[in-house]
Amino acid sequence: MSILSAISNKITSVPVLWRRFIITGLSALPALYILQLVIRIQTGEWDLLGPEPGKALVWLTGTWAFNFLLIALMVTPLYRLLNQRWVLVHRRMLGLWAFLYTSLHALAYATFLLQWQWADITSEIVKRPYLLLGTGAWTILLALALTSTRWAQKSLGKRWKALHKLVYFAALLASVHYLLQIRAGWFEPVLYTVLTILVLLVRNRRFEGFWKKSDKI
Amino acid sequence: KQILAASETAWGKDETLSPYSAVTQYNNFYEFGTGKTDPSRYAGDFKTDGWKVEIGGECEVKGQFTLEDILKPLDLEERIYRLRCVEAWSMVIPWIGFPLAELLKRFKPLSSAKYVEFTTIEDPEQMPGQRSVFSTIDWPYKEGLRMDEAMHPLTLMAVGLYGEILPNQNGAPLRLVVPWKYGFKSIKSIVAIRFVEEMPSTTWNDLAPQEYGFYANVNPKVDHPRWSQASERRLPNGLFSANRIPTQMFNGYASEVEGLYSGMDLRRFY
Repeated sequence: MSILSAISNKITSVPVLWRRFIITGLSALPALYILQLVIRIQTGEWDLLGPEPGKALVWLTGTWAFNFLLIALMVTPLYRLLNQRWVLVHRRMLGLWAFLYTSLHALAYATFLLQWQWADITSEIVKRPYLLLGTGAWTILLALALTSTRWAQKSLGKRWKALHKLVYFAALLASVHYLLQIRAGWFEPVLYTVLTILVLLVRNRRFEGFWKKSDKI
Repeated sequence: KQILAASETAWGKDETLSPYSAVTQYNNFYEFGTGKTDPSRYAGDFKTDGWKVEIGGECEVKGQFTLEDILKPLDLEERIYRLRCVEAWSMVIPWIGFPLAELLKRFKPLSSAKYVEFTTIEDPEQMPGQRSVFSTIDWPYKEGLRMDEAMHPLTLMAVGLYGEILPNQNGAPLRLVVPWKYGFKSIKSIVAIRFVEEMPSTTWNDLAPQEYGFYANVNPKVDHPRWSQASERRLPNGLFSANRIPTQMFNGYASEVEGLYSGMDLRRFY
């Protein structure tokens, strides 16, 4: 525990504003990496991501959307399990990054795979359940992003907390969205689902007894 | 890499070929991994010398044949075929091979032979996908054709592509090419051919029978349960040009093969 509190002290000695800059910079790295891929593909390196670059980018943005969703969901467990209080300040920002990458993923799908053929979009969403689930997850994150301001928090009062609990539901939708696309390689979808369930279990106060007890030994 | 002497044929002369890099670096060959680039990455050291094919079942001539035995009396020819994957992408590939019928005739199949069953090599030491604990496939990979499909002049046994010996990731040294069926029917790295009376069990049909049928004829009217088969992405495509084209019945080979299925409900026998 002393190592953890030492880490915690080291981090909290850095001003909050700096920490925000660092987290913003790190969170933007995958997006910048994806942007340079798009630029290089468009400037002649057509083969950079193989013969289906659009599909590759949809998968890449989807993976990062899920990564950030899990990172944002890890904030509270990190505080409760390891007593890292400093992380709470950054929860909103990490949640917004999760929303941003989810939006990039949806945008990549609509642009590269559907080419904005709206007739196709509606028929595809209705026909393919995994698209419906993905759209559902994105819609929830959109609502949470829109109500992430302090003003919304105040004016919604108790309802704000209830609304923002929907993030658990969004994570479950994202897991099923991924699982439904399995053909034979199930490792990654199952890994993400297991991580999602673990995070949800840790966050649920009803299960707090399990790790609070073992903590004292 | 070696150029094979092959005669040109009229097949697919008007088609635009998919680039060599797409054909050889975007593969479904789960024996080497489920990623599209896994086969080209991990098949480099795959050993094909001394390759043997076991012939058995309902035929007069049985036994083990070396690849040289198989190829000796045959003339190789180039055929440019469209390849339509069940995942809704397609390519155009210049194969080098010989009609499967030419080979099968030599084994003198009996009248009881109603189907032909093909088996891919099972060699986990060389094939990381077969070693993987995450694989849901019951190795070895198996495929099958009805006898008349196997004897059809379009059905090709390929030993090369783009003027060279078949790269390992494309199913060296011997693979099937059935251009009017989804790609998974075109089994790779064949080590056994059996003539059988009953419809053989096949890998993808075993794994998800509601998604992959035995026939697996390209059919724009019968969707995969999770995606539409009405159109396909002709590869390579660009970021802002999906190259989406309508899928043709029997992948455009309807005039040659539709007679094989007359009177069959293709919705039921997908």
